[in-house]
Amino acid sequence: MSTHETSTQALGSREKPAKTARTVRLNVEQASFAYAASAESAPTFTLGATSFQARERELVAILGPNASGKSTLLRLVSGTLAPLSGRVELDGQETSRLDSRTRAQRIAVVHQESPILYAARAGDFVLQGRHPYGRALRLATTEDVAIARNALAQVGAEHLASRTIGELSGGEKQRVILARALAQQPRLVLLDEPTLHLDIGAQVELLERLRQLAEENQYAVVIVTHELALAAEFADQVVLLHHGTCLRVGSPAAVYQRELLEQVFEAPLDVELGPAGRPRVHLRAGRTEDAT
Amino acid sequence: MKFKTRPRASDSANAGCAKTRTAALRLWLALFSWLLFGIPALAQTQTVNAASGLQDAAPVSHSFTDEIGRKVEVPTVVKRIVSLAPNLTEIVFALGEGDHLAGDTDFCDYPAEATQKPRVGGPINPNLEQVVALAPDLVLATKAINRRETVEALARIGLPVFVTDPHSVDDMIASVEHIGNVLHAEKTAAPLVEDLRERLSNIDRRIAGALPRRVLFVVWTEPLISIGRGTFIADALRRAGARSVVDASAEWPRVNLEEIVRLQPEVLVFASAHAGDTQHDIDMLRARPGWRSLEALRRGNIVIISDAINRPAPRLVDAVEQLARAFHPDSFARGGSRATPAYFAVEACACAR
Amino acid sequence: MRPLTLKRLLWTCGALAVVLLACMVLALNLGAVPISVTDLVLNLGRVAIGQSDQLPTEYRLIVFDLRLPRILLGILVGAALSVSGASFQAMLRNPLADPFILGVSSGAAVGSILATLIAPRFTLITPLGAFLGAITTIAAVYFLGRREGELDSTTLLLGGVISASFLSAIVMFLMTALTGRDLRGTVFWLMGDLSTPIQPGLQWIFSVGLLAGIGAIYTTAADLNLLLTGEREAIHLGVDVTRVKLVVYVSASLLTGLAVSASGTIGYVGLLVPHAVRLLFGPDYRLLIPASALCGAIAIVLADTLARTVAAPTELPVGAMTAMAGAPLFIYLLRRGMR
Repeated sequence: MSTHETSTQALGSREKPAKTARTVRLNVEQASFAYAASAESAPTFTLGATSFQARERELVAILGPNASGKSTLLRLVSGTLAPLSGRVELDGQETSRLDSRTRAQRIAVVHQESPILYAARAGDFVLQGRHPYGRALRLATTEDVAIARNALAQVGAEHLASRTIGELSGGEKQRVILARALAQQPRLVLLDEPTLHLDIGAQVELLERLRQLAEENQYAVVIVTHELALAAEFADQVVLLHHGTCLRVGSPAAVYQRELLEQVFEAPLDVELGPAGRPRVHLRAGRTEDAT
Repeated sequence: MKFKTRPRASDSANAGCAKTRTAALRLWLALFSWLLFGIPALAQTQTVNAASGLQDAAPVSHSFTDEIGRKVEVPTVVKRIVSLAPNLTEIVFALGEGDHLAGDTDFCDYPAEATQKPRVGGPINPNLEQVVALAPDLVLATKAINRRETVEALARIGLPVFVTDPHSVDDMIASVEHIGNVLHAEKTAAPLVEDLRERLSNIDRRIAGALPRRVLFVVWTEPLISIGRGTFIADALRRAGARSVVDASAEWPRVNLEEIVRLQPEVLVFASAHAGDTQHDIDMLRARPGWRSLEALRRGNIVIISDAINRPAPRLVDAVEQLARAFHPDSFARGGSRATPAYFAVEACACAR
Repeated sequence: MRPLTLKRLLWTCGALAVVLLACMVLALNLGAVPISVTDLVLNLGRVAIGQSDQLPTEYRLIVFDLRLPRILLGILVGAALSVSGASFQAMLRNPLADPFILGVSSGAAVGSILATLIAPRFTLITPLGAFLGAITTIAAVYFLGRREGELDSTTLLLGGVISASFLSAIVMFLMTALTGRDLRGTVFWLMGDLSTPIQPGLQWIFSVGLLAGIGAIYTTAADLNLLLTGEREAIHLGVDVTRVKLVVYVSASLLTGLAVSASGTIGYVGLLVPHAVRLLFGPDYRLLIPASALCGAIAIVLADTLARTVAAPTELPVGAMTAMAGAPLFIYLLRRGMR
């Protein structure tokens, strides 16, 4: 835990002076969306106008309980959906208007785990990340192989290159999937609930790695999560969603207000400010006990 | 470890490499497919275009039209015949051309010499290579048993195939005549044909005026299958002075046993190669529901005819004769015994006399 | 890391092609009529240089008019079924998918029966009717399998399986309700039969269709590798999933339609050959597709050779051979976990 604190502190101290110099990568401006069964029927779910920005080397957490619209917002950011109103721009270009090849070269999305059917090797799996750059059969060039190796090294999985995906543990698989995303050499990395199947140690390790990668490769990273503690510790910005409405956008300290969090997550919570200005969230002991 | 800044994938050298690679791949694929398909196909067009047929030394041939309307070029001298159906084998032997039979099917069992001939497989799927290897001057087929694809395949290679298609007893006799012509065996065909026709008109005379017996021809008991009105078996029954109670257009109709009980046929006819087994089976039937309600079964009005009835060949006339005696014993001079069941085994073949 | 290289691709396919040629020579050699290998090679050479009239007539007829077309047909059918099976396994993300799973073969059977009834004299009618039946089924199942405007794997699978059952029931009804004469050939053909050579003109059409179908699917080979890891994942890696699914669906169904029109339903090949190839050469579709085509061809040539020599002169149906060899192989693969 102590190393964790130190690294957070170190990052925290590095954060402040450099912040204003970083370019805005992702600009989400009043983006909204509505799902409806058909054009005439009433929408079944609406995501209200949301705005936030993600800069390079920054980690943004889209936070909220289930069914709050996080996945919808992620799909708007990734360009899978076009916003009903407002704009979603990556480096000035609308994500939904990019052709799929360019989009794959700029945005990498890491999903919750899908079952992988056949015994592919981890190395070949990571090479798939080079798909947006190739043509026809996309036989790997030496450059592709180098990039893939590099990606594996960056996630600390270089030794897994010849192993079959099926043999890997959950954490190792997660790293290999992340490596594939890195092999795309994107500008923006999106992760949808990446910590779902991981134990706490692996969760922390993943988030630390993400911060590190963002720093080294100048990515903007956006993760969708409902893990309050992780978002508090690692995010530079938090976008708080509740029932399709964006309630607040800002640094964790600014967003983590007790009443707000209790209302959104419907749980008795305590918030206190930890070292380096990061909030710590506690579950209040018993319902009957009053908060101090 | 610092990840170096992204090199642009539009590097022209890389793109060039990729282009030559896909081009090489395409070229290789094209070459390979030409090798795989081109040479054999080339070979084939050559052989198909070449003069087909095995008649190396028989330039003279006659043109016949077979019973399904196909034009067939048959050499003047037919030394080697391949028969693709048992009834055709019987006809060939009946015409005295048994020595010229070069091959027949696995099911050709009459006369006994037929079993000694080289086999070409079953009638539905004969081994085409074997047929060709026997170097026949003529192949005989019948529409009822052989497949159109077999006939077409042999014809395409250049073998003359004569197809028969008898639907009645008279048709069968006509087939004997046609095959006699094709084999240039008119000398043996004519008396045979005349004899068969005479015997049939004899039967017609004797049973003229007698009421046709209502019969059920049983092909199979479970499920109950009889014969359709367009089959030669139905015609044979008619010529023998009987009428099938089943009137269906399908060749082998499945019949409802209850319907048969309602119709109460006078006589049940079974065809069998082994009378003893069939007799046993029939005895078993007496106890079965439905069957035991049949008057004919209870009274023992059963005729077991040899399986010659199943083949449109000269023995069919023998079968008709014996059926006629069984159905109308009073019409025949010697009078048949009324004691049934009667079993008629066709011993002698209707050979050329 | 050992990624697939062009060199490895070409060498593997080359080696398999050599094996296929060897099997072809073996198959030409064996049969009800024995032929020696040296004679055969000499004669093949003579044919290649255009001196075919120097060969003895029966020999020429047996080998070049009967055996060789049969072997070629076997190659076409084997390649078509294997590639189709491999493609459906990727598109439906289901290791149990085979070429007939979407009902194309049952539709072809209905088509050929109806065609034979309508025009029994027309020689091309069986394969033509089968092909039309196949195409109609492809279109029908396509519309059944759509959700929100694009092909959805689960819906497609359900639609296909239901269509297959329905059409099989129609086939049974037609066969029992109608006069049996011309249908005997159809029944036989349904079992899977290479013994009757198809018209030479049709062979060219089939060859072209086969190459076109395999070629079309091969253009999506790299995409299929990605599609197997998940549709969303593939979309985010730049794959046009809608287009890929459509191309694969139409091409694989057409390949199945061609194979069934030519030779009826030969089972197990489309299911097992891709799995065997995966075991041998890995799951990369850029190698799997050509390797499956070649291995499928090898499998059918060998099975057909067995079918016509094991109980000579009686010919066993090819489908029986593939089933007898296929079932134990299937069990073996199951035990290995079909990974």
